[in-house]
Amino acid sequence: MNIKIFARLVLFGSMIVVGPVAQAQINHIEMRVEGMT
Amino acid sequence: MKQHLGRQSGVQKVDVNLLDGRVDITPKEDGKIDPAQLLKATYDSGVTVAEMDVTARGTIVKDSSGRLALQVEPNRSWAFAANELSKGLESLAGTPTVVTVQGQVYKKPAGKKKADPSAPPTLLILEVQKKE
Repeated sequence: MNIKIFARLVLFGSMIVVGPVAQAQINHIEMRVEGMT
Repeated sequence: MKQHLGRQSGVQKVDVNLLDGRVDITPKEDGKIDPAQLLKATYDSGVTVAEMDVTARGTIVKDSSGRLALQVEPNRSWAFAANELSKGLESLAGTPTVVTVQGQVYKKPAGKKKADPSAPPTLLILEVQKKE
Protein backbone atom coordinates (compact mmCIF):
# COMPACT_ATOMS: atom_id res chain seq x y z
CA MET A 1 0.00 0.00 0.00
CA ASN A 2 2.76 2.43 0.98
CA ILE A 3 4.65 1.54 -2.18
CA LYS A 4 1.59 2.48 -4.27
CA ILE A 5 1.28 5.85 -2.55
CA PHE A 6 5.01 6.49 -2.99
CA ALA A 7 4.81 5.54 -6.69
CA ARG A 8 1.92 7.97 -7.22
CA LEU A 9 3.82 10.76 -5.46
CA VAL A 10 6.85 10.17 -7.71
CA LEU A 11 4.61 10.14 -10.81
CA PHE A 12 2.79 13.39 -9.94
CA GLY A 13 6.04 15.03 -8.86
CA SER A 14 7.71 14.23 -12.18
CA MET A 15 4.67 15.60 -14.07
CA ILE A 16 4.97 18.90 -12.21
CA VAL A 17 8.71 19.18 -12.88
CA VAL A 18 8.77 17.97 -16.52
CA GLY A 19 5.43 19.45 -17.61
CA PRO A 20 6.32 23.11 -18.19
CA VAL A 21 9.50 22.28 -20.13
CA ALA A 22 7.57 19.86 -22.33
CA GLN A 23 5.03 22.63 -23.07
CA ALA A 24 7.74 25.10 -24.07
CA GLN A 25 7.72 25.92 -27.73
CA ILE A 26 7.84 28.53 -30.48
CA ASN A 27 4.28 29.39 -31.54
CA HIS A 28 4.82 31.80 -34.38
CA ILE A 29 7.58 33.54 -36.35
CA GLU A 30 7.22 36.72 -38.36
CA MET A 31 9.89 38.26 -40.56
CA ARG A 32 10.15 41.51 -42.46
CA VAL A 33 12.33 41.07 -45.51
CA GLU A 34 13.87 43.37 -48.11
CA GLY A 35 14.80 42.77 -51.71
CA MET A 36 12.01 40.32 -52.46
CA THR A 37 10.81 40.26 -56.09
CA MET B 1 12.01 31.82 -50.89
CA LYS B 2 8.63 30.39 -49.80
CA GLN B 3 9.54 26.90 -51.01
CA HIS B 4 13.03 27.18 -49.52
CA LEU B 5 11.66 28.12 -46.08
CA GLY B 6 8.91 25.52 -46.32
CA ARG B 7 11.55 22.80 -46.65
CA GLN B 8 13.24 23.73 -43.34
CA SER B 9 12.65 21.37 -40.44
CA GLY B 10 9.82 22.26 -38.10
CA VAL B 11 8.04 24.52 -40.61
CA GLN B 12 4.35 23.78 -41.21
CA LYS B 13 3.28 26.78 -43.27
CA VAL B 14 4.81 29.89 -44.85
CA ASP B 15 2.78 32.93 -45.91
CA VAL B 16 4.52 35.65 -47.91
CA ASN B 17 3.10 39.11 -48.47
CA LEU B 18 4.94 40.64 -51.43
CA LEU B 19 3.47 44.10 -50.85
CA ASP B 20 4.88 44.79 -47.39
CA GLY B 21 7.62 42.15 -47.34
CA ARG B 22 6.06 40.30 -44.42
CA VAL B 23 6.67 36.58 -44.02
CA ASP B 24 4.58 34.59 -41.52
CA ILE B 25 5.87 31.19 -40.50
CA THR B 26 3.72 28.68 -38.65
CA PRO B 27 5.79 26.03 -36.88
CA LYS B 28 4.72 22.39 -36.67
CA GLU B 29 2.96 21.43 -33.46
CA ASP B 30 6.09 19.90 -31.94
CA GLY B 31 7.56 23.43 -31.94
CA LYS B 32 10.98 22.16 -33.02
CA ILE B 33 11.95 25.02 -35.28
CA ASP B 34 15.24 26.89 -35.39
CA PRO B 35 14.98 30.66 -36.06
CA ALA B 36 18.72 30.87 -36.77
CA GLN B 37 18.32 28.22 -39.46
CA LEU B 38 15.39 30.19 -40.96
CA LEU B 39 17.50 33.36 -41.03
CA LYS B 40 20.28 31.53 -42.85
CA ALA B 41 17.81 29.91 -45.27
CA THR B 42 16.31 33.32 -46.07
CA TYR B 43 19.74 34.84 -46.71
CA ASP B 44 20.63 31.83 -48.87
CA SER B 45 17.58 32.51 -51.04
CA GLY B 46 18.95 35.99 -51.79
CA VAL B 47 16.66 38.05 -49.57
CA THR B 48 17.72 40.36 -46.74
CA VAL B 49 16.00 39.92 -43.38
CA ALA B 50 15.28 43.31 -41.80
CA GLU B 51 13.63 41.96 -38.65
CA MET B 52 12.49 38.70 -37.09
CA ASP B 53 9.89 38.48 -34.32
CA VAL B 54 8.80 35.34 -32.50
CA THR B 55 6.01 34.36 -30.19
CA ALA B 56 7.27 31.69 -27.84
CA ARG B 57 6.37 30.06 -24.56
CA GLY B 58 8.70 28.65 -21.98
CA THR B 59 10.07 29.00 -18.50
CA ILE B 60 12.37 31.73 -17.22
CA VAL B 61 15.87 30.57 -16.34
CA LYS B 62 19.28 32.08 -15.72
CA ASP B 63 21.84 30.99 -18.31
CA SER B 64 25.45 30.00 -17.65
CA SER B 65 26.53 33.66 -17.57
CA GLY B 66 23.78 34.59 -15.11
CA ARG B 67 21.57 36.38 -17.66
CA LEU B 68 17.81 35.89 -17.69
CA ALA B 69 16.66 33.67 -20.52
CA LEU B 70 13.56 32.00 -21.93
CA GLN B 71 13.94 28.25 -22.07
CA VAL B 72 12.04 27.20 -25.19
CA GLU B 73 13.40 23.65 -25.39
CA PRO B 74 15.15 21.49 -22.79
CA ASN B 75 18.52 22.27 -24.39
CA ARG B 76 17.85 25.71 -25.89
CA SER B 77 17.29 29.05 -24.23
CA TRP B 78 17.33 32.66 -25.46
CA ALA B 79 18.99 35.27 -23.31
CA PHE B 80 16.87 38.40 -22.88
CA ALA B 81 18.05 41.79 -24.03
CA ALA B 82 17.54 43.83 -20.88
CA ASN B 83 14.47 46.08 -20.82
CA GLU B 84 11.62 46.88 -18.42
CA LEU B 85 9.63 43.81 -19.50
CA SER B 86 12.54 41.44 -18.92
CA LYS B 87 13.13 42.95 -15.46
CA GLY B 88 9.48 42.21 -14.66
CA LEU B 89 10.11 38.52 -15.32
CA GLU B 90 13.14 38.26 -13.02
CA SER B 91 11.08 36.98 -10.09
CA LEU B 92 9.94 34.00 -12.21
CA ALA B 93 13.48 32.70 -12.82
CA GLY B 94 13.77 29.08 -11.76
CA THR B 95 10.02 28.71 -11.13
CA PRO B 96 7.75 26.36 -13.11
CA THR B 97 5.65 29.31 -14.39
CA VAL B 98 5.27 29.15 -18.18
CA VAL B 99 5.21 32.53 -19.89
CA THR B 100 4.25 33.41 -23.45
CA VAL B 101 6.16 36.35 -24.86
CA GLN B 102 6.39 38.14 -28.16
CA GLY B 103 9.81 39.48 -28.92
CA GLN B 104 12.40 40.38 -31.47
CA VAL B 105 15.25 37.91 -32.04
CA TYR B 106 16.90 39.68 -34.96
CA LYS B 107 17.14 43.16 -36.40
CA LYS B 108 19.34 44.18 -39.31
CA PRO B 109 22.12 46.44 -38.04
CA ALA B 110 21.89 50.06 -39.13
CA GLY B 111 24.34 51.32 -41.73
CA LYS B 112 26.60 49.06 -43.74
CA LYS B 113 27.46 46.67 -40.92
CA LYS B 114 26.98 43.08 -41.95
CA ALA B 115 24.94 40.87 -39.64
CA ASP B 116 26.09 37.43 -38.67
CA PRO B 117 23.03 35.21 -39.15
CA SER B 118 24.70 32.35 -37.27
CA ALA B 119 25.21 34.40 -34.07
CA PRO B 120 23.13 33.18 -31.10
CA PRO B 121 20.02 35.36 -30.90
CA THR B 122 18.99 37.43 -27.91
CA LEU B 123 15.33 38.06 -27.30
CA LEU B 124 14.11 41.64 -26.92
CA ILE B 125 10.72 41.24 -25.25
CA LEU B 126 8.03 43.42 -26.85
CA GLU B 127 5.04 41.97 -25.00
CA VAL B 128 4.36 39.47 -22.21
CA GLN B 129 1.17 37.78 -23.37
CA LYS B 130 0.49 35.16 -20.70
CA LYS B 131 1.79 33.74 -17.43
CA GLU B 132 0.55 30.25 -16.50
